[in-house]
Amino acid sequence: MKKIDYRDKGSILNPLKNLQFFARKPITEKLEPRPASASYRGFHINDMDLCIGCSSCQKICDNAAITMVEVPSIKEDAAKGIRNLRPAIDYGRCCWCALCVDICPTSAIEMTREYVHTCDGDDTDSYFVFPSENGIHDLKFAKGWTKTEDSDLLDRIRRPMGEMKPEARINNFDEVVDGFTMEMAVEEASRCVDCGLCEDACPAHMHAPNYIRSIYEGNLEQAVEWMYETNPFSHVCGRVCTHICEDACSLGRVDENGVKNSQPIAIRWLKRFAMDNVSKATIKHIAQKGKTHIKSGKSVAVIGAGPAGLTAAFDLAKKGHRVTVYEALPKAGGMTRYGIPNYRLPEDRLDQDIEVITSVGVKINYNVRVGTDISMQQIHQENDAVILAIGLHNGRSTRISGSDNKAVVKAVDLLRMIPQGDKFIAPKSAVVIGGGNVAMDIARSMARLQMKQHNKVNVVVSALEALGNSFLADDEEVSESLEEGITILDSRGPKQCVISKGRLTGLETVNVLSIFDNKGRFSPKYDNSDLQYHPAEMVIEAIGQSADITLLGKDLIEELDWDRGRIKINDNGSTSVEWLWSAGDMVKGPDVINAVADGHRVANDIDSYLTR
Amino acid sequence: MKNTNKEGHSKSYKKLQTKKTLEEILDIAISFEKTARDFYTALIPNVSKNIRYLVEELAEEEQQHFDLFTNLKENSEVKKQLVKKINTPVEDHKFSDFVKLVDLGDNPDDQTILVYALAREDAAMKQYRDLAENAPKGELKDTFSFLAIEEAEHKLELEKKYYEIIHSGGPGM
Repeated sequence: MKKIDYRDKGSILNPLKNLQFFARKPITEKLEPRPASASYRGFHINDMDLCIGCSSCQKICDNAAITMVEVPSIKEDAAKGIRNLRPAIDYGRCCWCALCVDICPTSAIEMTREYVHTCDGDDTDSYFVFPSENGIHDLKFAKGWTKTEDSDLLDRIRRPMGEMKPEARINNFDEVVDGFTMEMAVEEASRCVDCGLCEDACPAHMHAPNYIRSIYEGNLEQAVEWMYETNPFSHVCGRVCTHICEDACSLGRVDENGVKNSQPIAIRWLKRFAMDNVSKATIKHIAQKGKTHIKSGKSVAVIGAGPAGLTAAFDLAKKGHRVTVYEALPKAGGMTRYGIPNYRLPEDRLDQDIEVITSVGVKINYNVRVGTDISMQQIHQENDAVILAIGLHNGRSTRISGSDNKAVVKAVDLLRMIPQGDKFIAPKSAVVIGGGNVAMDIARSMARLQMKQHNKVNVVVSALEALGNSFLADDEEVSESLEEGITILDSRGPKQCVISKGRLTGLETVNVLSIFDNKGRFSPKYDNSDLQYHPAEMVIEAIGQSADITLLGKDLIEELDWDRGRIKINDNGSTSVEWLWSAGDMVKGPDVINAVADGHRVANDIDSYLTR
Repeated sequence: MKNTNKEGHSKSYKKLQTKKTLEEILDIAISFEKTARDFYTALIPNVSKNIRYLVEELAEEEQQHFDLFTNLKENSEVKKQLVKKINTPVEDHKFSDFVKLVDLGDNPDDQTILVYALAREDAAMKQYRDLAENAPKGELKDTFSFLAIEEAEHKLELEKKYYEIIHSGGPGM
């Protein structure tokens, strides 16, 4: 081949060669896009209803081609794990790798077989696309790359939690759950996509993605540090939290287009694992972080040593205020001690949370009943601010015929007796009225006592609600109760406690045909012809609870504003009385993590009030 | 102050037995609502402030029924029927069960008040339902059916309230 010198400019006639095309008729060849293959990675589509705004697509994109855009018309719902963010894609950056498709927990984002988009020079923004269900040009193209079970990047199934067998646990109050091993915990933590929906949903906004990552990295101390930023009841919440975070977890979604079985990260069990595997001394050291050594000179009284009161006390003590907690019972913990049985929450774990809280300088006066041993007025006079967090310790009664018999008792009263070590002779047969977790707690406690004392379980739970969607108790409580030999009669309404010669002989119930109206409000329909008799030596009522507000006294009750039976508070827990705040179950309903969140809110507000 | 919490009009049932026209029946019904309204209104200061809202709502609801029944009596279509005689149920004690002197105690709690109110609405509903059954077909029957439905709906609302307050520790729990 002839070498051409780089300085060679060619013939001067070369431009004239182009003249040969001058007189020719132009030919235009129509170019139709060829149909793409079935799994072509073309432009994205996004199902706006399936998309939950978790941002997993954005996080996995190595080219930073995805931006999450706020869509105000989409309603956010943190508890359900729905954000109003949706992905927009920059096709100047996208390399069509489809990792966004393969990671999407709900299979909302997919790719089509559409691949042609042109624009003139002024319209380059058109390559930044907010994909909808109809694609980039609002033309419906066939789907290209979509996720399959093989291409799904998510590990959908949680590591199973071991439990004590029913026959081994039925005659004792030992903890039922085994807990994770290190290997199981790391595997479980590795499933997390770090979307943060759990943190949004948690009432205390615990930094779950951070502590899960720390567990994954094997750094349990760091995990506990993350926990103590928001929750001084991490042992308790590692066992009995209502785990709203798990309900919001992006992995808990049913993948409508692909994988059908998807389980949320076991966030609660991971928390339990980290807390159980860091020493008490280290946790105490961690809890001290952020504590000021400057005394404010202000004092705060907390009435009630439950999760709300003690969380507030923990925060306020760390801010340098003198905090005194008044507790009517011999030990702290409130309903977590006197309502939750040991097989769900061992007392030593609760004791450890309390010990850490008192280690920052919180003083608890036990066996002091406000209103009897000390007046509200005196507490007010001796302190700059007062927090009322007394929980819901009064049990409600059905007040059906015969319910005033001495063999008809309230669940909360019995549950309070068990950890106090009171000698309690279990009845040989018992019927529990109620279908919530308290009903299950007393039924399962009673079953254990019966097995120990009589070697036989005879407990019937009679609930208005039908098993399934409307049943109040957690599914695991129901299944474990059944395993332990407890009979659950759902859709049964209590008619009367049957009394013969002054002695209780049993409970009569009728069938509940339906319980809620089409708006979800209570509207029971009974079939009185379907009457059943349940013989029992004891009937236990577990239908609801209320706060004992008598400690406030008539004048303060009159001075306070009320909101449909509860003390009226603002968003920060402040009541209409300047020096009084209220928090926890008594104003927000029963829930540990909500109580913890409430404690923080109240402490922040009181600190602002005292340091203004 | 014990009598403050007792509802009067013990003679209502006897009156009802002897009254035979729709106008007279409606007069008793209006009186029944008025008595209840006044009863709840008098009860308001005698209950603890935290549950006062409940009694205030009951008084307001009875006032609404009082207004509704009064307007009904003034309605021209109903007026035409007012003089028609109907059979009142002979062995009916439902109204009387609750228009008799009822003692709620000095400081009744929310459950006591709700149980009383529920029973009262139940009695009224059954009474109107029986009257509707005994009335001849037409507007007269329709009127009593309407009254029965009104009381039934009132009772239903109270049942919902009862569940929300008693069975769960308060609304929204």
